Amino acid sequence: MKHLKPANQKAAEYVEASEQGREDEVRLMQTMVGCTATLDPGWEVDAFGGVAALCQPMEADLYGCSDPCWWPAQVADTLNTYPNWNADAPAAQRDWRKLQSVFPEDT
Amino acid sequence: MNIIWRMLPAFGFTLAAGLLPQAAVAQDGAAVLNARCASCHEERADGSRNRISDVRKTPEAWGMTLVRMINVHGVKLTAEERRTLVQHLSDTQGLAPSESAGYRYVLEKTPGVTDTGPTDELSQFCGRCHTYARVALQRRPKEDWLKLVHFHLGQFPTTEYQALGRDRDWWGIASTKIVEELAKLLPLESDAWTAWKDTPAPDLSGTWRFTGHRPGVGHYDGLATLTAKSGGGYQMTTKATYSDGKTAESSGSAVVYSGHEVRASMKNSDGQAWRAVLSTGGNKDALTGRWFLRDNDVIGGAVNSVRQGSAARILSVEPAYIKLGQTKQITIHGSGLAGDVTLGTGLKFQATESSTDKIVLEITADMGAATGPRDVKVGASALPGALVVYDKVDSVKITPAATIARVGGNGGPIAPVPAQFEAIGYMAGGDGKTGTEDDVRIGIMPATWTTTNFDDAAAALKDADFAGKITPTGLFEPAGAGPNPARPMSTNNAGNLAIVGTVDDDGNKLEGKAQLFVTVQRFVDPPIR
Repeated sequence: MKHLKPANQKAAEYVEASEQGREDEVRLMQTMVGCTATLDPGWEVDAFGGVAALCQPMEADLYGCSDPCWWPAQVADTLNTYPNWNADAPAAQRDWRKLQSVFPEDT
Repeated sequence: MNIIWRMLPAFGFTLAAGLLPQAAVAQDGAAVLNARCASCHEERADGSRNRISDVRKTPEAWGMTLVRMINVHGVKLTAEERRTLVQHLSDTQGLAPSESAGYRYVLEKTPGVTDTGPTDELSQFCGRCHTYARVALQRRPKEDWLKLVHFHLGQFPTTEYQALGRDRDWWGIASTKIVEELAKLLPLESDAWTAWKDTPAPDLSGTWRFTGHRPGVGHYDGLATLTAKSGGGYQMTTKATYSDGKTAESSGSAVVYSGHEVRASMKNSDGQAWRAVLSTGGNKDALTGRWFLRDNDVIGGAVNSVRQGSAARILSVEPAYIKLGQTKQITIHGSGLAGDVTLGTGLKFQATESSTDKIVLEITADMGAATGPRDVKVGASALPGALVVYDKVDSVKITPAATIARVGGNGGPIAPVPAQFEAIGYMAGGDGKTGTEDDVRIGIMPATWTTTNFDDAAAALKDADFAGKITPTGLFEPAGAGPNPARPMSTNNAGNLAIVGTVDDDGNKLEGKAQLFVTVQRFVDPPIR
């Protein structure tokens, strides 16, 4: 490795890990903004047992969860079950205060 | 905002009001079923109905099904028809007491419970979106379990991804192996239900003596009075006295489903609404379960109750521990208490107050008394391990060891979900080492509380500064919902926190630690999660 110079930050981190004998540690991508294309992170807790890798702020991509029915037990799916759930809230980041739980308080 | 849902009062508990007498309910239930459900659920040659007759489940689950029929399939049901149907279906196609044992936490909304399926595969296929308990509280034949798998794929197409469909023949497994396992584990027909189904609903009229523990507040005891209403169900009043002397009075109503499931809908004298999810467990003189605030179900407590006038019984001993050399007032709570008190050797005591409901003792523990749990006996009644004698606290564990809280409020319609912690003191046990299997649980102890970042990732985002605060009683109150511009990328006030409780054992300070995920709201929050 001594003849190669890391070209970017990730490569530099790999060199550092190699020098410390940590190159076999597998660390999946952590994403702070925008959902990954799989179900990691989860809705409540991320794949690493924390919350730092959740899609946050959640409101930034909430309709990317509700429209394709991504976490239907936590987020009202507008695909089939609750088509009008977010009808009054066109932009979740701005209108999140209008988004109700679909099982509201009983009265 | 979903207008349909906003207009629907939740089922499970508000079913209490205006019920018809049991016989009339059964008759009307069948009539309402015919009138409202038959056009889609056709009658089969044997008189059963397509799909409907192929399921047994809890009142909450029947209520959820009805609301889904209204919301997704446009069924028109009045509130009274819903109540009638839930009663009828729960009574004729419910679960026997033994069939809900082990999974009642999801009905009781007990916080901090770890939900696990019987196999990894069932946990993966059923427990990745909702609790496995939600499945375990249903009974279906193989054909209907398969239809439920089909329903999931049709209604929630992401089922494929949730079931790890990228990496295996998920449909092959779901539609064969999983269906077969569920049909075997949770069959429609069971000996338990055959033996139970014709058991008449018990008459709960009378006075009940109850005790319980509300985490963060303490022990309580009291009386509940149930009076049968002419239209069915019960009028119910309760008066509880907490160990600090404060009292709470409530009134409301209660309904019995499936011959043992009791649901109470109550209001405190200050107007605060609460619910109770109880079961006789098959013993008409006992009711156990949990109560919780309607609007904040983390706040609540266990209920252990016995009918006054039935067999004598010790319900609880409080406080439940005494230190060597200490003199302490300890109360035995129960019903029909009579006879001599026995605590074992090394404890001197005298009764300062005695009735059939409670016996207040002043106890002195000799320095040479044997440590460990002891049975408490009053006459022929006994409560095993009810009083712990200890020499010192060797370690502290925090319960729940890991749980979640949710941000909320901040102008939004969804309230924050707090988390309540308690510190449990332990003795090291015979091996003198803490954290081993022979540790002896002493009991819940007063503690001081702090929060810190759980790990480096949490520290980098300063989670502990943003996610919320913990009160002196161990109640974690989450911060507000919504994007927070003061955090990187306007991230939510989520956080991965360590909750540290410190117990002072006569100057020796011991810490216990729990993990708290402060996470985001949920937008679907059904009676069975």
